[in-house]
Amino acid sequence: MKVVEATGKTVEEAIQNALAEIDLPIDRVKVEILAEPSPGLFGLIGSRLAKVRLQETITPEQYMKDFLEGIINRMGLTAEVDVNYDGEYLKMNVTGNRMGMLIGKRGQTLNALQYLLNVVYHKQFPEQEGRLLLDVENYRGKREEALQNLALNLAKKALRTQREVVLEPMTPHERRIIHTALQDHAEVTTYSQGEDPYRKVVIAPK
Amino acid sequence: MKVKELLEFIAKALVDHPDDVHVNQQEDEHSIKLELRVAAADMGKVIGKQGRIAKAIRTVVKAAAAAEKKRVFVEIVD
Repeated sequence: MKVVEATGKTVEEAIQNALAEIDLPIDRVKVEILAEPSPGLFGLIGSRLAKVRLQETITPEQYMKDFLEGIINRMGLTAEVDVNYDGEYLKMNVTGNRMGMLIGKRGQTLNALQYLLNVVYHKQFPEQEGRLLLDVENYRGKREEALQNLALNLAKKALRTQREVVLEPMTPHERRIIHTALQDHAEVTTYSQGEDPYRKVVIAPK
Repeated sequence: MKVKELLEFIAKALVDHPDDVHVNQQEDEHSIKLELRVAAADMGKVIGKQGRIAKAIRTVVKAAAAAEKKRVFVEIVD
């Protein structure tokens, strides 16, 4: 983050000088007044200029957008990054071409990226408590629908064979989708087994 | 090919001493080997609990290299 110190005959002038140097709009900086001007005796002896320090401030939204765009560009992709903070979650949505590269097999790359973004987010902005959620081309929405269908189909299979069905390893979020989808199912029950990142959902006949 | 820059960029955001982040790249026809060096105090920041951060870094860097049809290896060295 940029820091600039500047002087002027008045505080206002010092701020203007510093802004010109830091090259940012006033709402992107924090102003600290280091010295008030004093005219001194006869405007000569002991006269002092106003001195200010401007520090660049950046919102978590902007910082994370810049960071994600930096990653995407270095992957040789161009994309639109949309950021929205709802008071709890910082939601980032990416749209563009060749987005499969950001998603990966079963969302592996997407989940790795989301994890890294969360680590950086909480390191840079420790006062922000909520998680950062990343989605690319509504992949998560589509995945949720696919997981709900999978849950219903495998519940049928469990009933037909009267055996437990073990699903592939999933993230906590994905496991929750499965549990929720079968929560009110009359004839099967669900639980998880194993340790992350290999924790799996099991669907069992009641 | 920007995998080296990608790795540097990610690592610098994770550590407390970004100026001490260095990546050495060795490349041949089929593969790229990247050696990531960070300040000793920052090792945990790029490895993470049970290597979770290192694993996520590798996943993202590999995805970037896939377009070049090259295998990429990321090593964290001290």
